Amino acid sequence: MSKLTINNISAGYGSVQVLHDVTLDVQTGETVVLLGTNGNGKSTLLKSVMGLITPSSGAVEIEVDGQITNLIGKGTEEIVELGVSMVPEGRRLFPLLTVEENLTLGAYREAARRKIAETLDFCFTTFPRLKERRKQQAGSLSGGEQQMVAVARALMSEPRILLVDEPSVGLAPILVSQMIAKIKELKELKNLTVLMAEQNFNQAIKIADRGYVIVHGHIEFEGKSASDLENNDMIKQYYLGA
Amino acid sequence: MNALVTGILLGGFYAALAIGLSIAFGLLDIVNIAHPAFIILGAFVAFIFNSQFGLDPILVSVIFAPVFFLIGVLIYKVYYASFEKTGAEALRGLAFFFGVMFIIEVLLIIYFGVDFQMVQADYIDFKLTFGGGVDLPFRMLVPFVIAMIMTLGLQYFSSKTFFGKAMQAVAQDPVALRLMAIDPARIKRIAFGISLATCSIAGALFVIVMPIEPSIGRLYIGIVFAIVVLGGLGSQTGTLIGAMLLGLVESLITTFFGPSWSPAVAFGALILVLAFKPTGILGRVGDTRG
Repeated sequence: MSKLTINNISAGYGSVQVLHDVTLDVQTGETVVLLGTNGNGKSTLLKSVMGLITPSSGAVEIEVDGQITNLIGKGTEEIVELGVSMVPEGRRLFPLLTVEENLTLGAYREAARRKIAETLDFCFTTFPRLKERRKQQAGSLSGGEQQMVAVARALMSEPRILLVDEPSVGLAPILVSQMIAKIKELKELKNLTVLMAEQNFNQAIKIADRGYVIVHGHIEFEGKSASDLENNDMIKQYYLGA
Repeated sequence: MNALVTGILLGGFYAALAIGLSIAFGLLDIVNIAHPAFIILGAFVAFIFNSQFGLDPILVSVIFAPVFFLIGVLIYKVYYASFEKTGAEALRGLAFFFGVMFIIEVLLIIYFGVDFQMVQADYIDFKLTFGGGVDLPFRMLVPFVIAMIMTLGLQYFSSKTFFGKAMQAVAQDPVALRLMAIDPARIKRIAFGISLATCSIAGALFVIVMPIEPSIGRLYIGIVFAIVVLGGLGSQTGTLIGAMLLGLVESLITTFFGPSWSPAVAFGALILVLAFKPTGILGRVGDTRG
């Protein structure tokens, strides 16, 4: 059991309000995509969940193994301890540290440290490329490899709920579809509940159980299934140019 | 030959002076210009307990290291709240540590005056003599051994432990650290405490090597920063190598050309190294701060 519920949150930066009464939920084992082009509030929403931004109103709740916790007012460190992890936009690796050092830091939380050898092994099995590059500085990797490190690092904390912010940024189309497929694979292997923000509609829809479309900080459409999203007029207008 | 040995011993001593700064400046981006002043403070603490109670200066410094650690934690809290939080640390932070340096100096002058002071211990006048005119004065050898233990210990700590890795990452991306459930402010607080704790020990070594007066630390500001930059920001092993290099250069130049040349050649070596490797000897490639 691990689910995420966001109720009527509004948030922004200083006097600029970005999110207006956003409500969404991700049920146990689901992959929900948050679709929207640049500047519509996808990252702001994920940052609000992680406590990197404090919403001005609304509620964010998680339920992990029957334990319901309100995340509003909690610090980022505390939220990660509760089993929520995020792959940040732009990857945010420690460029001067090696791949292995980056991953090790991901397992800083007490519960994850005990299983570090096991999770590291798991990450290297999933991304064999990273095993080859383990002693290399993260900043010297290619974009695709860096994204692998970012995803693997987020998994090192043994999360139950995984937030992924724009995994496609800066990647070649073939790498985007590989990365998206990897996220699905990891979700199944690790029994994760996934919320993924993405602007690449065609790729995101491949692994989505459901999705929301966010426009100017409002949820404009809620698709109950992947095909529901695909057949929506607004999506056609925004993404497919029809 | 003797100049080589002296150079290595001197290099070890320099490593002890610089290793704390290699954490504060090299890893945390805190320009602690008062670092040598704290070393002199540590030297005076060792001096008081040595002259009053006859205690061994190194023993005193180890006992006082936790006190210095707490002072460091406290100073970082003030520094964080006043400067770093608002992003005004670059210039005002420097001024802050300048102020701290003067406060330490003035307090020491008020209590001890401006005369040179020194410590007593059995081993200080002792010396091993080998064939070929090589001397191992314990006045230099003991500080060298302690410096090595401290430097290599810290190097091991920062490369092998979780905390050490977090310390290395904290200046690169504090927000990403929070996403790993690590509080960057706490890491910096403790790391700065460790940095100051080394001042206590380095201070005892200092007063064993030479007599002290309250503002003598100023002469070492240039050297310690040079060593940290020369070795490569953020690398403790680099700091050790940089310190050895400067110690050797200084000793050889002093022997063959006279002491007045040694600073010029030492800093010349720094410029030369940076010209060929801008990140320092062991600096990580891609470090844009160098």
